[in-house]
Amino acid sequence: MKTLRTATNTSRREFLKSTAAGSAGLLLAFYLPASASTPGAPEQDFKPNAYIAIDSHGDVRLVVTRSEMGQGVRTALAMILAEELGADWSRVKIEQGDCDPQYGDMTTGGSMSIRSTWDPLRKAGASARDMLLTAAAQTWGVTREECSPTGDSVIEHKKTGRKLTYGQLAVKAASVPVPKDVPLKDPKDYRIVGTKRARVDGQHIVIGEAHYGIDTKVPGMLFAVVARPPVFGGKVKKFDATRALAVPGVRKVLEVPAVEMPPLFGEERKPDSGHQHYLWGGVAVVADSTWQAIAGRRALTIDWDNGPGAEESTEKQRATLTELLKTNGKELKKIGDPDAAISSAAKTIEADYETPFLAHMTMEPVNSTASVHDGKCEVWAPTQNPNGMATALASVLNLPQSALTIHITLIGGGFGRRLCIDYGVEAALISRSAAAPVKVIWTRDDDIRHDYYRPISHHRLRAGLDAQGQVTTWLHHIAAPSTDSTFLGGEVPDTGGTEIAGTGLASGTVPNYLLQQSFLHTAVPRGYWRAVDTNWNHFAVQCFIDEIAAATSKDPLALRRELIATKEKPAGGGDNEGETPVNVDRLLGVLNLVAEKSDWGKPLAAGRGRGIAGLYGFGSYVAHVAEVTVAKDGTLHVDRVVVAVDCGQVINPDLVAAQIEGGVVFGLTSALYDEITIQNGQVQQTNFDNYPMLRIADMPKVEVHLVPSHEPPGGIGEPGVPSTAPAVANAIFAATGKRLRRLPFQTQELAKS
Amino acid sequence: MDAISLTVNGQKHSVEVSPDTPLLWVLRDTLGLTGTKFGCGQALCGACTVHVDGEATRSCTARIATVAGRSITTIEGLSPDGRHPVQQAWLSDQVPQCGYCQAGMIMTTAALLAKNSAPTDSDIDEALGGHICRCGTYLRIRQAVHQAAAKHSASGATAPLPATAGAGGAR
Repeated sequence: MKTLRTATNTSRREFLKSTAAGSAGLLLAFYLPASASTPGAPEQDFKPNAYIAIDSHGDVRLVVTRSEMGQGVRTALAMILAEELGADWSRVKIEQGDCDPQYGDMTTGGSMSIRSTWDPLRKAGASARDMLLTAAAQTWGVTREECSPTGDSVIEHKKTGRKLTYGQLAVKAASVPVPKDVPLKDPKDYRIVGTKRARVDGQHIVIGEAHYGIDTKVPGMLFAVVARPPVFGGKVKKFDATRALAVPGVRKVLEVPAVEMPPLFGEERKPDSGHQHYLWGGVAVVADSTWQAIAGRRALTIDWDNGPGAEESTEKQRATLTELLKTNGKELKKIGDPDAAISSAAKTIEADYETPFLAHMTMEPVNSTASVHDGKCEVWAPTQNPNGMATALASVLNLPQSALTIHITLIGGGFGRRLCIDYGVEAALISRSAAAPVKVIWTRDDDIRHDYYRPISHHRLRAGLDAQGQVTTWLHHIAAPSTDSTFLGGEVPDTGGTEIAGTGLASGTVPNYLLQQSFLHTAVPRGYWRAVDTNWNHFAVQCFIDEIAAATSKDPLALRRELIATKEKPAGGGDNEGETPVNVDRLLGVLNLVAEKSDWGKPLAAGRGRGIAGLYGFGSYVAHVAEVTVAKDGTLHVDRVVVAVDCGQVINPDLVAAQIEGGVVFGLTSALYDEITIQNGQVQQTNFDNYPMLRIADMPKVEVHLVPSHEPPGGIGEPGVPSTAPAVANAIFAATGKRLRRLPFQTQELAKS
Repeated sequence: MDAISLTVNGQKHSVEVSPDTPLLWVLRDTLGLTGTKFGCGQALCGACTVHVDGEATRSCTARIATVAGRSITTIEGLSPDGRHPVQQAWLSDQVPQCGYCQAGMIMTTAALLAKNSAPTDSDIDEALGGHICRCGTYLRIRQAVHQAAAKHSASGATAPLPATAGAGGAR
């Protein structure tokens, strides 16, 4: 990257730099905050996070500093830039940035990519456009006011009809001082943002030329697979490589140490915190091809020290969780006097809910390629967390960050699995020991049996109602292992925002409220799974609202309207995102829209039903109505899912629709089929036959309706998931009168005797 | 290890691999054709689908010895210019999300349309029922299959689509 001139105004939170980049023309560096700014938050350090360049041919280049895993981020970021820049869309090219400290935080997660780049990208585009306009005015010797951008990479002098292209202006524009506070476009003038645009990488995908991490080729590269401990926390006692080494093509067999790894996101970790963030360890077989490595692994003899994890089973975990709900947990949020209110309630309602451990099962199995030599480390990784991987590589290999190069590849599905950094560290250690570049491939059973799982959880919900049937008390007790504690230790981390995501809606809208959590100790590592804790907390909350509606003979939508609209503005937050207040009008808006579009209230035939659930999360408002048919033998079919989305300003409606369609499938797959079970400390599932996915024949009709809005964009990768399962559960109740409170649905309970 | 001959995308190759090696790994590791994807290794997900003599085949379980001498087409060879009607339909409906499973989906669809130029929904379910898309693009896949079929019949053609457009897939 070229040396950049000193910034003109370092006091601003985001600012621009420009440089004359020779014939390259205008090069702008702009600064992005690591996360969407919170009003009133203290000033943070901001680092350059992306670059745009315009060359003398008029090509606009954007370095994308987020990871593409199917959400369309490369396309969306380019659209935002092109809009404010007034660029000809066909001339905008993207380039995937490598991990680089000068780009700041490159994490792709939490549905944050658009939220964290929307303002700085627009400002960068607007500033660049303004500089091009100044360059045109100077060239013609006219005032700036007489010049205007056409929106097609051209500045026009209307009086004389003269035109100059961005390519012609690029070099001159680079010497124009960077302007301050250039006004941003009025959304009514948008030509690109808000329109359907094809993915910039679609063509490569359909011809088989899109290169994912697993497609990495490096000269002299060897292939490896690893036998990892079958029990979590297990270790290699001893191994015999004789037979493996006799397999043709097998070059080396080496032990991978179970090294300690740092936290994922640069957090502080207390010494002796009890965290579980260690590399899996095991025995690697390095060969000339993947198949030879797999054959070599089959020929290994390994004696494992299974450790205490071998005592664990799903049965025992479920029993423990049931016990944990019987005594008080750690108080996470309290409003009013819930104890007194529940004992004086005219009526109480209680229900328990349950969700299992789940694996990510990205279609591209976990993999990484590394080349460690001469004090340097180069890694090709399908990663959502290059910064965390860099920190871990530096720490484990004892190398300075400057010795690391991490290439972020296209990702064949992330869903949070690739926020973890184990596979990159593992590949680097194997490359170092093998003294060669090595691609480490995880077979499907490696992938499913060594994941960081969505945690198992049990919930007890209790509501107290007054004599008029109004909800006066809401008690929610979660029993679960914490996700964050895998990496940070402790039980319920004090940072704990993610642990209670999705418990909102009722919190603060009823006068007496208590949220508590009990912690399950387990060797099973937990991780971040698309929409994270919101999934299981929201499942319990949205089903329970339905149960209250049934017990009080209210329509489930009407009760939601009451809970949202008839109370005071939520006290103490009560949402899913820290303390950002819920906008009750927007939440009501999506509930009303989804009701209208789904024919809510219109009668259905016997055995059919509709269910509703609505979410504020990830900065967006999303409501689902599911329509199901339950046959007499209990066979469940989800026929139709209607979704209303208010995610603020839409960048590309087709990408939003795709994320919601996919989110529904992700939610349905978890609701209908999947459960990771543990026996003798080992995951019992091995592949798609015993951990099934929704397939094309069972795909319901999905209809996505967007609320027009110019509010700042919300996230869209995750919020389509959480309401799916509760909407279906509520629809099953509407169809059958039976409550299924456990995921995946035990549909045999629906069979009529 | 004896040399095994095979024809991939119109080109003859001779590879020295163990005869039990799945075609998938020969394509990916030996020939460097990485457009064909590894998903499950057990013919459960369809990501590795190629054509063997025009038939959609799971390359992850097809031993190389069983396909020796036969004509194999991968996503890279489906059309000489990347403009097979199925690929075009996939683009026009913006089917892919992460895209990892789509080569397999496209190969199976091309093989389906070669035999059945107007598939019904249940034909599509049957042909693609062995495929998994974790991103959940199934609605668009179905739409794109119908679109590819319709475009073909609208163009006046009556014969089924060729599984491989162009002359033997040569590039």
